[in-house]
Parts: sequence; structure tokens; C-alpha cells
Amino acid sequence: MATESIKYLTPETETKLKSKAFPRPHQNTSGIVNWLTTIDHKKIGVMYGLAALFFLILGGVEALLIRSQLWNHNMEVLSNREYNQMFTMHGTTMVFLVIMPLSAAFFNFIMPLQIGARDVAFPRMNTLSLWCFIAGGITLNLSWFFTGGSPAIGWFGYAPLTDTRFAEVIGDMGPDFWIFSLQILGLASLLASFNFITTIINMRAPGMTMMRLPVFTWMTLIVSFLIILAFPAITIALVELMFDRTYGTNFYDFLEGGKPHLWQHLFWIFGHPEVYILILPAMGIVSEIIPVFSRKPLFGYGLIVFSGAIIGFMGFAVWSHHMFTTGMGIVATSAFSILTMLIAIPTGIKIFNWIGTMWGGRIRFETPMLFALGFITMFMVGGFTGIMHSSVPIDAQHQDSYFVVAHFHYVLIGGALFGLFAGFYFWLPKLTGKMLNEKLGKFVFTLMFIGFNVTFFPMHYLGMIGQPRRTHSYNEGHGFETWNQIATIGAFILGVGILIGVYQFVTAFFNKKLKDAGKNPWDARTLEWTLSSPVKEYNFARTPIIKSRDQAWENNYGPKENHSDKVPLDDHGVHMPDRSWYPLVSGLGFLGLVLGLLFHQSVDANTGEILRDYTYAIAGGSIAIFGIIMWSLEGPAGYHLFPKETEE
Amino acid sequence: MKTLLNKIQTLSYIILPAFFSFIGGCSRIDHKQSALDPKGLVSQNQYDIFMLSVWITIFLFCAVGGCLMYVLWKYRAKTPEEAMEVPPQSHGNSKVEISLIIASTLILIILAVPTLQGVVLMNRVPDPNDSETLEKLGLDRSAIDDAITVNVTGKRFFWIFEYPQFGIVTSNELVFPASKAVRINLRTEDVIHSFWLPKLAGKMDLMPGQENFLWFIANEEKIRTRKDSDGNMTLVSTEIAMPSVFNGKMRERIFAKQKFTDEFEAVGGLFYGQCAEYCGNSHAYMSFRALAQTDDDFDSWVKRFQNSQNPNLQPGTYNPEEEYQKDSIVQFADPALGDSGTREFRAVQAIAKGQAPNLDKKVWKKAHSDDYEMGKKLFSSLQCVQCHAINRTGLGSKGPNLTLFGIRTSLAAGWMRNDEENLSKWLRNSNEVKFGNLMWNGEGVDDDHPLRNLENDDEKVNQLVTYLLGLK
Repeated sequence: MATESIKYLTPETETKLKSKAFPRPHQNTSGIVNWLTTIDHKKIGVMYGLAALFFLILGGVEALLIRSQLWNHNMEVLSNREYNQMFTMHGTTMVFLVIMPLSAAFFNFIMPLQIGARDVAFPRMNTLSLWCFIAGGITLNLSWFFTGGSPAIGWFGYAPLTDTRFAEVIGDMGPDFWIFSLQILGLASLLASFNFITTIINMRAPGMTMMRLPVFTWMTLIVSFLIILAFPAITIALVELMFDRTYGTNFYDFLEGGKPHLWQHLFWIFGHPEVYILILPAMGIVSEIIPVFSRKPLFGYGLIVFSGAIIGFMGFAVWSHHMFTTGMGIVATSAFSILTMLIAIPTGIKIFNWIGTMWGGRIRFETPMLFALGFITMFMVGGFTGIMHSSVPIDAQHQDSYFVVAHFHYVLIGGALFGLFAGFYFWLPKLTGKMLNEKLGKFVFTLMFIGFNVTFFPMHYLGMIGQPRRTHSYNEGHGFETWNQIATIGAFILGVGILIGVYQFVTAFFNKKLKDAGKNPWDARTLEWTLSSPVKEYNFARTPIIKSRDQAWENNYGPKENHSDKVPLDDHGVHMPDRSWYPLVSGLGFLGLVLGLLFHQSVDANTGEILRDYTYAIAGGSIAIFGIIMWSLEGPAGYHLFPKETEE
Repeated sequence: MKTLLNKIQTLSYIILPAFFSFIGGCSRIDHKQSALDPKGLVSQNQYDIFMLSVWITIFLFCAVGGCLMYVLWKYRAKTPEEAMEVPPQSHGNSKVEISLIIASTLILIILAVPTLQGVVLMNRVPDPNDSETLEKLGLDRSAIDDAITVNVTGKRFFWIFEYPQFGIVTSNELVFPASKAVRINLRTEDVIHSFWLPKLAGKMDLMPGQENFLWFIANEEKIRTRKDSDGNMTLVSTEIAMPSVFNGKMRERIFAKQKFTDEFEAVGGLFYGQCAEYCGNSHAYMSFRALAQTDDDFDSWVKRFQNSQNPNLQPGTYNPEEEYQKDSIVQFADPALGDSGTREFRAVQAIAKGQAPNLDKKVWKKAHSDDYEMGKKLFSSLQCVQCHAINRTGLGSKGPNLTLFGIRTSLAAGWMRNDEENLSKWLRNSNEVKFGNLMWNGEGVDDDHPLRNLENDDEKVNQLVTYLLGLK
């Protein structure tokens, strides 16, 4: 990072509190300490991405085990409990440990660059949210090694199956691990969301008005609001469930007057916005890519942004369409049915506008564009089956059948994952400074596109001829075999495609053979493409003054008055905050708190009484609070850089 | 480019016919549990709305997808130079956008109207006094007036069917009259289940602490319709489409006509159902059957069940002070069956007072084989009776009611065909067939339980099988 032209001054910062235990690493720190203590949004983004890709492989292996079990009738690859654990872990992993953190990776890396900021508003909180995410991933997967193994309750954890009364293994701890990992993952998401909202509202470069924000940043903002509004519902639901399981309260225990319906409402009032939390970032990415590869601005920018907001808003008004078959009565089902149909309109608008963007353009079919086009077509299929499910009588047949499995995989793989892969192919040159291998990229796309459709299209048919979801086995004589075998073959093709893709992304950081990317390899349009690749640690040598929406494009092709200016560098230079150990300490503290709560119960061998020991939980919680207090006191500290204007 | 197109063309000559013949081979969609083969009013309505949505979405997919393909083809950059051109930078067109919004709203209305009508139909049995609606639906008033009610209780992992109008209880096989509406009240005693009967009714969850409702009425004509080998539709007689259950004809006919593994059901009146909400380890195994009957056959079935489950009609101990009519059945000690063994005897003719059952005199006959009687004894001594009710309603019992088990077509909540071989497999080690089932894993069942020690006891298993399948 340090080049000769950068003049370092002695840091003129006063650290309010110097701790000997966790001294702040020096500005030139490298190696593992650099990564563990970093507060740079770009490094955090990379770590989010790598961890999520790891979990993608893990969740993918679980998926392939599921598909192997369904290869034929009465297979015994997995026992029924193992199978149930697999689909629970697959769902939870893919939602909370893959798609959400992959989106967070892009939010972290790209969003500050798009608004002309040097970092997010709260860099250390950002780091803490990364460590909380890692802690959540660890907690969830630790469940494999304790009583009962992983949870076998489905990613939706419907009460009263989660009640200890109905546990199928005595002292089953799986649901407890599930509860606590979701809680800590929720903490990670909330921290990140408050951070992003503050950043986008407050830290835009001069001239970057809200209606000049790139669509991806808009989607970051909307998703962050969705997270802070949706996660409290699941947090409360999980706390109540934890109380039911640990202290014998009766929120969901119907035998004591509790209400299983309550869980479903709380879960889906989180769970449906969650669907949009998963898909809107991908829509944002696609809205960035299509204009670039069509060489035209986004068609109906305002309408796309507005539709995103409407989708997010209405996402809170349709949750009960997951519960059409739970006996809510005519009025409620009708109302939710109509509302769900309405949400198709803003979604359709986005698709119309993407096509409108390409209309009259000069379309190039490079890998990011292929993935974006894959997104549009696959998401369209998923959206159409979604419209079918909005109709209650249709849903009465489709609910909990393989038709639904097909539907949401079209949305979440064909939609979200394809969008995120498009993002990888699009922005990795900005991260690494190297172009990815185009041929390999197209090969990955072909494998994934074919594999995906071969896996999931037959599932529509399987659902219609009566295969129910979440069944570890099916009987002979239902005609399920052929299409399940086709689906399993497709799943392995898809798996190979994803694996090669992940390999390509990870090796992009080391592969010396790749061509240099330069500042703007795609001739792209938004602000991040005015920066060098890889981006310098300070992002912008001078804060840009924004004059138009597609600033990078306008700088190249627009009239003079649309070119961006730069705020002159003052004597102060670029202030870079110091690295800190405290986010990691707090993260470990939260992990300790969660594990302490998980293992606080023991049974007295003599009397059979339940003993509760909160020492470890309290210790973990204290460490977490200690870390937060210490980072509040240690101040920003840091150092100043004086880069030349050209060095950005 | 040319060669590539040629290649695609030649490829398509090979692939497309292969593809269509493959699809053709799978063109039958009336699988046992298929929602694409509705046989009742409610499911037909669900199917019609589904097909409407399919056509709407196919239209939309072609329109939007076609538009997309056109744009991709028309505006593709053909040369690297063209790829660097700067096209006009247009930002949008509000007229186009507004008209697209209006168009999509209109399309949704096309789907919304039948949806709302369908919601009402699913949730409410039509009012028998509303002749207009009945006519529109093509229903007779009597179909609603004489509707039967079934209280369904879901348990991990089987179903209890109680007929409150008739005071009878059965399990896993729902027998119903084809011409009458069937009201289903859904309850559960443990976790959430879902009652899914694709060909008749769609599904509804069984929520703990709440009673849910669903109804269906079968369409006799559709049950009787069958495609012959030339693809023509023919109506078969009711005896063939809906063999009677009460005298075991249904079971015989199914067993004779087809293998359990056949993909398509040859008997029109037999329907397959499944629990559709994840309910634990063996959720996959929680299926059931529904059997349509003519009114007369249904009445006979009800009568048989009522007689079997009526405590006053159970064979009593022989009373020397009583005269017995022909075919009366009494219980009387039989030392051949062990110390306290009793056996059922049937009167061959009218019998005067004081003629104790004695086989020598030929007026009494053994009602059942020795194996049956031994099996019956084992059913008590092996503690089966603690969970299973036979010849009584036994509503509180933990396991499925096994009254008239011998006329049932399936075993283990629809997972296997109910024949000797499967029943003995099930009795020997049910956990191997259906891992996690309550019979093997329920409260109070451990390795010392006699049930868990039947594996190699051929004699006992045979006796139990004879007894259970003899219940008809």
C-alpha cells in the first residue's frame, strides 16, 4: 500500500485510553493480525464473501446429500432423522450463512465506493458484525457434535415441533443451537444494517443526491431498513421459544394454552420480508450490470427505485400467504391473496425496465451479463409460480409440495444466487485488479444454468403429481423416480458449476496469469469505476463532487458540465483510523455468551434436579460489553495519508 | 456462425424427437397422488384455477421472454467496434411504463376473481337451500343434506377417522359415500400435520388447539371414467370402479388387479393422501387412503363397523340357561388353547338350553382357526391391546384402531399393502420399516417389551397375522 509518493506524518491523534492487553496494531501491520483487526470495509467485505462461499459449499454438500437420498424410492443414503437434519441445516445455512452474507459482502465492499465515501459510518461496528456472523455460523454447525445432533425442525422451526415435549431424541440440543445461532446472526445483520443506513444517509459525497444514488446502493438502503424492521419479530419469537424450551413457559405450548399460530405469524412477518432481503440485493446488482453491458442508462430509474421500496414495504403485508392452509378463515386468506398478487406488479415493473434498458443498446454478452440475463429469465419463472401460489385454491394443492420447492429455488438460486454470481464476475476485477477468465466464466454459467434448470424444473411436475416436501423417502408406485433422478443429476451439474465458480473467485486473488483490469474494464457507469483496481485503502484520494447519476460514464462520454470535480486535499490529509482488537474481542464475547447459555443446564445425577450455571454466559457477556466499552474509549486514533490526486 | 447454426440444427433433429417421445412416455398425469387428475368438485375448481394461472403465465412468459429475446437479438453488438459505440442515452418512457402497469393489473384481476370464488367454495359447504348455487355447481340437494362428517385426528404418524353420526372409529382408511359431501373436521393431538388428498380436496393443516375444516365431494362419473387402450373414455360399472369395502371386495380386487408398485391406480374409487406438514422423523410415512363407495355399500360398511364396535353385540360367554339361534357366537373354555384359553364357537343350528359347546356333537363349530384364537390371545398378552382398540371405538387409545383390519387395503398408515408378508415384516421389526414409529418407540416400549422380541418368533408372528387379517 505504501508507495513513495505517499508522505506519512507522525500521527497527531491522541488515544484516550491505552491498553497494554490489546495494543492497536501499527498501520503497516500485515498478515493474519491485519485481517483479524482490520476495520477497512473492503477487507471486511472480502472476509464476508469468503466465509459465505465456504458456507455455500457446505450447504451445497448438504443439498447433494438430500438429492442423493431422493435418487430412488426407499433409499438409505441417510436415515430419516439425518435427512431431516440435512434439510434444516441446508435451509438455515443457505438463507442466513450464504445469501445474506454474500449480499453483505457486496454492501460492504461496493456501497461506500458508489457513494464516494472512505468507509462506512461505524467501521468497528462493521467488524463486530462480521465476527458475529462468523460466530453464528460456528454456533449453528457446532450442533452436529452435541446431543441429538443438528436441529431437525426445518428452517422455519414450526411450533410445537420445537417443544421439548415433542423432541424425538431425549435432551435434543439441536433446536437450542438453532435458536442461539439465529439470534447472534440477527445481531450481525442489525449491526450491519444500522451502519449501512447511517452511511448512505450521511456519508454521500457532495452532489450525490438520493436520486443520483446507484440502484445497488438504493437496494442496500431498502434491504437495511427491511432487516431492522423484520429481525425484531424473529428475535422476539426466538426468545419466547427459548423460554418455552428452557424455563417451561407456554408461549407456543398448546396443551398449556399457548398458540402455535403465534409462532407462524411472528416467523413469517420476519420470514417474508426476509425473502426480499435475499432478492433485492441481487436485483440491485442486476440493475447495475444491465446498463453497463447495454451501454445505456437504466430505463425508468425512478420507477425501479420506487418499485424496490414498494416491494420492501409490501413485503410486510403479505406474510400470511405462507399460512393459507392453516385455517385463517375466508377474510384473512382473501386479503392476503390479493395483497400478494399486487406485489407482482412492482416486481414486473423491474423486469420491464431491464428489458427497456437493453432496448436500443449495444448488448455485450460477457459473463456478468450472462448471469444477469439468467437472473431475469429464472426469476421470471419463479415469479410466475409465485403468482400461482398467491391464489388460495391453487396453494391448497401446492403448499408443502415439491412445486413450492421448485418455486423458491427459482427465486433464490435462479434469482438471488445468479445475481450474486453476476456481481462476483462484475466487481471482482475491482477487488483484485485482475480480469477473471472469460471462457471459464462462461463455462461456469453454462453448467449452472443447465444444472439448475435440470434440477428444479422437474420439481414443478413432481409437486403436481403429489410428492410432498420434507419427506426423506417416497414409496414405489407414485411415478416419482424418473424425475427425481433427473433432478439429482442436475443438482450435481449445478454443484460442479458452483464449485468451479467459487474456485475461480478465490484463486482470482493469487492467480498471476490473469490480465490486468485497469480502472474501468467494462466501461461501466458508476462512481467505483473511477478508482484504481484494486482500490487503495483510502478509496478516494480527494472526495469527489458528483454532478450526475452515472458519474464514471459521464466523465468519459458526457458534456463537460457533467464531469465530476474533486474536493481539494487540505493540510489534514486523509485520516485513516487505526485497526482495533476490540471488535474481535466483543465477537468472541458474544460467542462465549451464546455457548454459555447453551450449556448452562445440567442434571444432578443424584436428585435428577436441573442445575443452572450461568458463570460462562455472564463471563462471555461481560467480555462482549468490555470490548464495546473499550473501543468507545480508545478513540479513532489513526494516521494521515497524503496521496496525490492521481493515486486513487 | 453458420456452422454453429448448422450444428444446432442437426442437434435439434436428434434431441427434439427424443425429448418429445420421452415426454410422451410420461404423458399420463393421473398418478396415484396427482393433483392434475381431479376427481371431485373442490379439487376440480382448484385444478381449473391452476390451469388458468398456467395459461396466463405461459402467455406472460412468451410475451416478456419473447420481447427479451427480440431485444437481445436485435441490439446485440455484432462486432467489437459496435460494442464500443455509444447509443442514445434514453432514460425511460412514462407512457410505456404506465400502460405496462395497467396491463399487469388487468391480468391479475383475471386471476383474482376465480381465486376469491374458490376461497369461498373451499371453506363453505354450499347452503342446501340455495338452489341457484347448487345448480351452478351441479349438485343434488341430497348430496348436501345427507352430508357425512368425519372427525380426523392426526397423530405421529397415523390418522384416526371418527364418524360421529354413526358412532364408529377407524384409522388410516377413510371410507366415504361417493355421492355425498364429506365434511372433514381436522384436529391433532401432537404437532402440526396437514391433510392432503390431492384428487379430492387439496389440503388443510391440523393445528394444535384449533379445529380446522375442509370438505369435498367426489364425482362419481369421473371415478367411473376410464381410458381404454385406444385412449377412448369409457364408463365402467360401479362394481369395478368402486368395489365394496365392507365384504372385502375392494381389497381383493386391488390385490388381484395390480401390484403395489404400479404407477397408476386401476381402481377409480381408491384415493391416496399424505401428511403434508413436516411432523417429525417419520413424516414421510404418514399417508392414508380414501375409498369411495356407493350409498348402499357405504351403509353396509357403517353397519358392519357399528356391529363390530357395539359392546352389546360382542360374543358373550356361553350361558347354559339361554337358547341360541343359528349362527350365534359364544365364548367357551377350550383347554387346547392353554390353561385359561377360550374360543369362539358358532352355532350350526338353533340350540336348546344346556348344550354347551362341544365339538363332538356337531351343533357347535369353531368360529375361527386355532392360529386365530392364539393370535387373539397374544394380542392381549403381548400388550398390543394397550394401544390398539379392536371391536370398540377406543377413542383415547394411543395407536390406530384395528377393527375389521382384515378388510383394509393398506398397512402402516398407507405405506405397505396389507397382506401376510408385509404384516409379518411389520410385526417382526416395525422400526426397520418405519423408523421412529410410535409402536416401536412410544412411551413404555423398551427392549424388554414383548413386541420388540418378535423378530425371530415365527409362530407368534404367524398367529398374530392370522388373527389380524382374520378380522373381517
